[in-house]
Amino acid sequence: MTTVSIWRWPTPNGLPPLPLVASLCAVLGAMWLTAPLVEVDFVRLLGSLGKMAAFAGQLFVEPDWAYLPQLFDKMLETIEMTFLATMIAVVVSLPLGLLAARNATPHVLVYRLTRDLLSLMRALPELVWALVFVSAVGLGPLPGVMALAFVTVGFMGKFFAESIEVVDHRPVEGVAAHGAGWLQVRFFAMLPQALPDFVGTVMYILDHNLRAATILGLVGAGGIGYDLVMSMRLFQYDRLLPIAVAIYLVVTLLDRLSDQLRSRIIHGARK
Amino acid sequence: MSNISIQSVSKRFPNGFEALKGVSAEIAPGSFTVILGPSGAGKSTLLRLMNGLETPTSGTVRIAGEALEKANLRRMRSSVAMVFQQFNLVERLSVATNVLTGRLAHRSWVGSLFYLCRNEDMDITREALARVGLTDKAWSRADKLSGGQQQRVGIARALAQRPKVILADEPVASLDPVSSEEIMGLLREICDRDGITIIVNLHQVDLAKRFADRIIGMNSGRVVFDGASAELSPQALRTIYQREGIEHDNSLDLALAYA
Amino acid sequence: MKPTQAVPSATALPPKPRNLFPVWLAAVLAVLWLIVRDLEISFETLAYGVADMGEYFSRYRQPDFSNLSRYLELMGVTLATALWGTVFALVVAFFLAPLAARNFTPHPLAYRMAREVLNFMRAMPDLLLALIFVAALGLGPLPGALALGVHTAGFLGKFFAESLERVDRGVYEGVAATGANFPQLVMYAGWPSILREALGYVLYILDRNVRMASVLGLVGAGGIGLALHDTLRLFDYGQSAALILVILATILIIDYASAWLRRRLG
Repeated sequence: MTTVSIWRWPTPNGLPPLPLVASLCAVLGAMWLTAPLVEVDFVRLLGSLGKMAAFAGQLFVEPDWAYLPQLFDKMLETIEMTFLATMIAVVVSLPLGLLAARNATPHVLVYRLTRDLLSLMRALPELVWALVFVSAVGLGPLPGVMALAFVTVGFMGKFFAESIEVVDHRPVEGVAAHGAGWLQVRFFAMLPQALPDFVGTVMYILDHNLRAATILGLVGAGGIGYDLVMSMRLFQYDRLLPIAVAIYLVVTLLDRLSDQLRSRIIHGARK
Repeated sequence: MSNISIQSVSKRFPNGFEALKGVSAEIAPGSFTVILGPSGAGKSTLLRLMNGLETPTSGTVRIAGEALEKANLRRMRSSVAMVFQQFNLVERLSVATNVLTGRLAHRSWVGSLFYLCRNEDMDITREALARVGLTDKAWSRADKLSGGQQQRVGIARALAQRPKVILADEPVASLDPVSSEEIMGLLREICDRDGITIIVNLHQVDLAKRFADRIIGMNSGRVVFDGASAELSPQALRTIYQREGIEHDNSLDLALAYA
Repeated sequence: MKPTQAVPSATALPPKPRNLFPVWLAAVLAVLWLIVRDLEISFETLAYGVADMGEYFSRYRQPDFSNLSRYLELMGVTLATALWGTVFALVVAFFLAPLAARNFTPHPLAYRMAREVLNFMRAMPDLLLALIFVAALGLGPLPGALALGVHTAGFLGKFFAESLERVDRGVYEGVAATGANFPQLVMYAGWPSILREALGYVLYILDRNVRMASVLGLVGAGGIGLALHDTLRLFDYGQSAALILVILATILIIDYASAWLRRRLG
C-alpha cells in the first residue's frame, strides 16, 4: 500500500507549495553544514545532563549572608546604570530621530547620514563597546553607562524616526499653515503624535538594557556582572544562587511594571 | 434522525447579563427555522448553545437525545456545523484549505497537523465548492474574495462536514441585498435537497417571512412567538420588536410597516 | 427626543486640569542626579575621557588584517552558533506559545505554567546560561548555542503568544466549530493567522543572536568574542580594529539581509 495515492496536500498538484519546501531545505541544509562548526554532539549533550543535575544540586547551599549587602549594592548599581544610560539616550535620540525621519529632516543628505550613523551605533553589541570604553576611561560604571547609552541611541533613534514617519500629516499641515516655524511644526505637531509609541519603545528598551547591564561587569564596566562571573569561576555557589535569584527578581519586576505602564498608556491614548 | 430539544434553558453571563430566561423549543429534523428578533434578544446565545460555544446556566440542550458535554463535544460539533456573520475564515489559507477544515473532526490523524489530507476529503471539498458555485476560486486566498463569496466558502465548509444540522448566526447581516438573497436561497436549497436541519438567526423580517417554515420570535431572552411564517401578524411583530418600557410607539409601527 | 441641556450662563472656562508633567520631569531629574552621585561618576573623568577618546580612537586607525582568515573562520562559527540557537528557540517557542496565549490556551493552568516558563527563560541573561552550560559541557560553541536558544525561546514564545492573542476570536471559533481538536486548531487557525508577524520575529531574534554570539566567546563559549578580548588585553589595537571591523561587517550584512527578507515577505 503506497501512501502517495491516499494522502496529499491541499494544493492544485497535491504537493506542498514550492517556496515553503525550498526555504525549509535551505534552513535544514545550513544546519547540516554547520553542525560540525557548532560541535553539535547529541551524545555529549545527553551525557552532560548528569553533570548539569549535579551542578544544580551544588547550587542549593546556604547563601553567603555576609555577601548580601554587596549584592544589594551591585544590583542597585546595575539598575542605576540602566536608568541613567536610557535617559541620556532618550535626550540624544529625540533630535537624532527627527533628523532621521524622512518627513522631518531638513535635507535628504542629513537623513541618509543620520540613518547610517544610527545603524553603525547599534551594530555592535553593548559588551564590545564596554570593552572599548573600559580600555579608554578605566574600570567602573562609567564605561558601562557610556556603552549602554551609545547602543541605545542607535535603536531609539531608529524607532523614534519610524514613529515620526507614520504620523498623520494633516495636523502637521494645519500647524504649518498657521505660520509655525520649522522647529515649532516638529515640536507641536509631530512629536505629540509620535509620543505614545515612543514611550512604549522606551519601556521595551529599559527591559532590554537591564538585561544588558547585568553582564557588563564581565569586562569591568560596573554592575553585578563581575560578581556573577567570579562566583562561577571561584566556585562560590553560596553566592551564585542569590545573584541569579536577585537578577531574576529584578528583571521580572521591571517586566511586569513596564507591561502595566504600557497598557495604561495605550488605554490613555485611546481615551 | 436528529431533532434538537431545548428545555428551559437560561444563560447568565459572568458580568450579570441574563441573555436567556427559560427558553424551550423543539426543532424537527429537516426543518428550516428562523429565529427572529432585535439585537440583544439572545438569538446568538441560543444558537451558540447548540454547538457548545456557550454552555447554559440551567436547563439542557439535547441533539438527537444527547446532551452536549466536554467528552462528546468534538463528535457533536462534527455533525452540527456553523456559519458566522463575519464568515470567520482563516484569511491566509486558500479557499480549498478553509473548506477542508470542515473535515478535521473526521480525521484526528497526525497527518492533518502536517496539512495532509486524504483524497476522499479532497473530493468532498470539491463537491462542497461546486455546490456553492466557487470551483474556480478554489485556490485563491480566502481574504481576496468578496463578502458574498466568503460566506459561500463558510457554507461550503459547513457542507464539507456532512452535518445533520447547520446553524447560521446572522449570515447575511454583513452582506448587500443581492448577496443576502443568494445566501438565503442557498441555505433553503440545502435544506430542501439534502434534508439538513437549518436554523438561521435573522433580524430582517422580510427574509424571515420568505424563507422560513417556522419562525421563533425572541425578545429580551424570551420566546415571544413560535409558529409558521404565515402566522406572523403585525401584532406578533410588535411583540417581538418592542422595547421594554415603551408602550405605544408610532415609530415602531412605521418601521415594521416598511420591513 | 431628549430635552436639550440648558446653556451655562457664565462664560468663564472650567478650571484647568492640573498639569503633572513638570512634576514628573522634576522627579526624573532628581533621580538622575542621585544616580550620578551614587555611581560616583565624575564629570572630570568623563571630560578627560572625552578628550582622551580622540587620541584613544586614533590608535585604531590602522587595522591589521594579517589574521583575517582565522577571524573569518571564527565569524563563521559565530554565525553557525546563532543559527542553531535560533532554531532551538523556534522549536521550543512553537510548542509553548499556543499554551501561553490567553484566548487560545486549552486550560488556565497550562497558560500560567507556559507563561512562567517563558518568563524564566527570558529573565536569565544568556551570559549566565552560557557560563552554566560551559561548566557542564566544557568550552566550545555548543554551550553558547544552547544558552542563546534557551534565552531567546523566552522572547519568541512571548512574541508569538502576544500575536496569537491579537487574532480575532471569530477565526478560532470558525475552526473550533467544525470539531477540530487543539493541535488542529493551532495548525489551521493559529499559525496561519500570524505567519507574517512570526517570521518577522524570528528574523529579529536571529539578528539579535548573531550579536550575542559574537560576545559569548568572552566566557569561553566559542566564536570571535574571545579573540577580541585577547587582543584588547594585549593592547594590540591593530588587530582589535580588524576584529571589530569583521564583526561590524558581518552584523551589517545580516541586518540588510533580514530587512530585505522582511520586505519580500511583507
